[in-house]
Formats: sequence, C-alpha cells, structure tokens
Amino acid sequence: MARRSQFEQVAMVHINAVYRAAYALCGRKDMADDLVQTTFLKAFEKFGSFKKGTNCKAWLIRILRNTWYDRLRRQRFERKQVPLDEQLVAEDLAVAETAWTDAEDILENFSDEQIIKALNRLPEEQRLTLYLIDVEGLSQQEVAEIMSVATGTVKSRTSRARMALKDQLASYARDMRLSRGDR
Amino acid sequence: MTHLTDEQFELILQGAQSESDHLADCRLCQKRLAERKALADRLRSAFASIEPDKGLAERIRHRIDVVPDQAEPGRVRSLLDFHAHWKGWTAAFSAAAAVIVLVPLIMYFSTTSSASAAQAALVKIHEHNLSENHHFYSEADPEKLAAYLKGKLGFNLRLPQPGRGLALRGCCVRHFQDLIVGSYVVDTPEGVMSVVVVTDTPQMLGITGKFEFGGQTYYKSSFARMHMVSVRIGDYSYCAVGEISHQYLTDLLSRLLP
Repeated sequence: MARRSQFEQVAMVHINAVYRAAYALCGRKDMADDLVQTTFLKAFEKFGSFKKGTNCKAWLIRILRNTWYDRLRRQRFERKQVPLDEQLVAEDLAVAETAWTDAEDILENFSDEQIIKALNRLPEEQRLTLYLIDVEGLSQQEVAEIMSVATGTVKSRTSRARMALKDQLASYARDMRLSRGDR
Repeated sequence: MTHLTDEQFELILQGAQSESDHLADCRLCQKRLAERKALADRLRSAFASIEPDKGLAERIRHRIDVVPDQAEPGRVRSLLDFHAHWKGWTAAFSAAAAVIVLVPLIMYFSTTSSASAAQAALVKIHEHNLSENHHFYSEADPEKLAAYLKGKLGFNLRLPQPGRGLALRGCCVRHFQDLIVGSYVVDTPEGVMSVVVVTDTPQMLGITGKFEFGGQTYYKSSFARMHMVSVRIGDYSYCAVGEISHQYLTDLLSRLLP
C-alpha cells in the first residue's frame, strides 16, 4: 500500500495539469480523459524509476507526450497517412510576423475556445512546447527534458510557435472583422 | 540599431534575462514584447477553465486497484496494451484451445481483493473491444461468429438474434492477464455493448443486484460510467457491459439464442 499511497501524494496531485496538457495535445475532452488514464497507469507502472525530489509534473507530462505520439504513430501507420516526423518538420517553416495594433484588445475578443482551437492548429511539437512554457510555466530546461531536445531547440521552437499562434489568431481576427482595416 | 532577437524576447518572458537598455529606448521592441506577453497571458487564461470531470481521478484509482500492489512491469503493461501479449501467444493458444480455457477472472483478482477489480476488468475488456484492436474479429453474421468462437473456445456461445436495431460487430478472444476471455460486441439502438463470457458467477464478479426478469434471475451493477447485467446460463455467466441502461442490457441478454 505504501507505493500507492506515495503515488497518490506525489503523482495524483498533478491530475489537472496533466489533463490540461492532454487537452492541449488532442483537443478533445473524451480523448484527453482516456489519455490521462493511460498516462497515470503507465506512471504507476514506472513509479519505481521516478527519482524522488525531481519534478513529478514534468515526468508525468513526458509519459503523456510519449503515449500521445505512440498513438499518433500507430494511427498514421494504420491509415497510411503522412508520417509523424513529416508533420513535426513542418514547424521549421518560417512564419511571417503579423502586425497587431493593440494585441490585448484583439486577444480579449477571442473566446477561450477559439484560443485553444488556434493552438490546436499548430504542429504537435510547437503546440506542446508553447503550452508547457506559457501555461504550465515550466523552464526551457524542463521542457527540453520532456521533449528530448536541446534547450536551444526549445527556445527557437517556442518563438516560432508563438508567432504561428499569433498568425492563426490574426487570421481569425480578419474573419471577425477585428483587424486594423475594418475597425 | 540592433533589435532584440526572438530568443532574447523568450528569455525576458521567462524572467531569465532582464530587460535591456535597448528595450527602454526602442518602441518597436517594446511593442513586440507586449504582444508576446499578451499572447502568453491570454493562452494561460484560456486554459484556466479546463479541468477534468470529477470522476477522472476515481476512474484512475479504480484502474490502479486492478494492478497488484507490487506490480511487475509486464503485468501492468498487459492491462494497458493487450498487444504486448499477442506475440508468441498463438502457439500457446492453439494448444489451449483444445480445452475450455475460460477460467475464473476472480481467481486472478483474489490477490487484489475485490469484486470491483473484476468489474474494472470487465469494463477494460469492453473498452478494449472498442479501441483500435488488431485482434478483433469483425463479423456480423451470427453463424460465422458462432463458428469462430467455438473454434477458439471449444463450446457454443449464445448470441443475440440480429434485427430490431441489433447488429453484431465481431468478437475478441484473447489473453487477459493469464486468462483467456471471450467476448463479442453488439451495436444496439441505445449504444454499443460487449458481452463477456466467464465461468465466474455474477456474485463472484461483484455483480450482486439480484432481480427477476421473464422467470430468470439476473444481476446488475454499475462501475465507473458503465452498467453491467449478468445472467447465468449453464456453466457460464454472460455479462453485458456498456453505457446502456440496465433494462436494455437485461432485455438483450433475455434474447440470447440457445
């Protein structure tokens, strides 16, 4: 029982953060629910290898990320779609910076749902990176460990993701006649 | 004038770098930083309202309860992914198929204590039947499905008569932990359900809500969001599992063909 009790105290307390990260990844509540259950079962299995005193939330999100990518790979293999790696590479495409007149005013006109939807349109790695930095407040070093990349990659990926998100929202704003020309 | 780089903006946002003299003088960089800050704040606030439903933690605890406390890695993995067991299983199964190999689920779960663990296992089998399952045998024809199941299990399972909105989707016979369990999936007007066939009695599975219907004794219970109804037919318990009313599950079990 000690192991379960410890797991409860150390890991289960992060369920909300893991759920939000799952939602950021898959964009659907039912899928996020299932993903979180699988993540915590895997975490329980591996709990013996978790180093006490280290960041358990980051550890759980790494398991979540790997679980999600495994699913994507399996789905794409079965459907013979574009390999995951090709989609991940898409992040390297340059994104032109959009000029906003008043960022805060424009952003307030979007609903939470629209903001999350725009985030969901980013490539997988950009999406998770930006989410972990901005929403979960993890350091670049922690995100680098979760994503198994160098810190420099996290820096550039965060910046590109932010610009891509801004571009998405600018596009929505144009549709909503919120852009400068229509105000 | 050299403006701040994207990386410098990110470092400032993270609080890892203080704002430079250039930033104090450059309106363009100030504007860019303000935009980035606004976007980060808005993203954070958008997720503030996202939280799991209240039952999620409980569902995870139930699933963890199925796992023996001193779990060996492989045992947990088999709960998560039955595919892991499939390799090398076929040969062993061929030998086992000669005899009836549906053994009591409760024997396994006696080590973990609980009837609720057995119910969690039934739910897991149903969930797995609905997931992308390479080993699911898709077949809507009851005769072909019955023949397949008999070939695998060595006895005739009772199936519902298709029609009236019912359609067989297929079946799955596979290792569950160290056991071999047969189940089939039925699409109904009220949703999809699995019928899992085991040798345990309903009471052993913790399905203890006894009631009578059409002169037959049935048992019902609920676990997580799932309802289940079980009936004893011969040496086996037929357990209908799904997010469907007890009444409908009972009605379907009452119409299983001999």
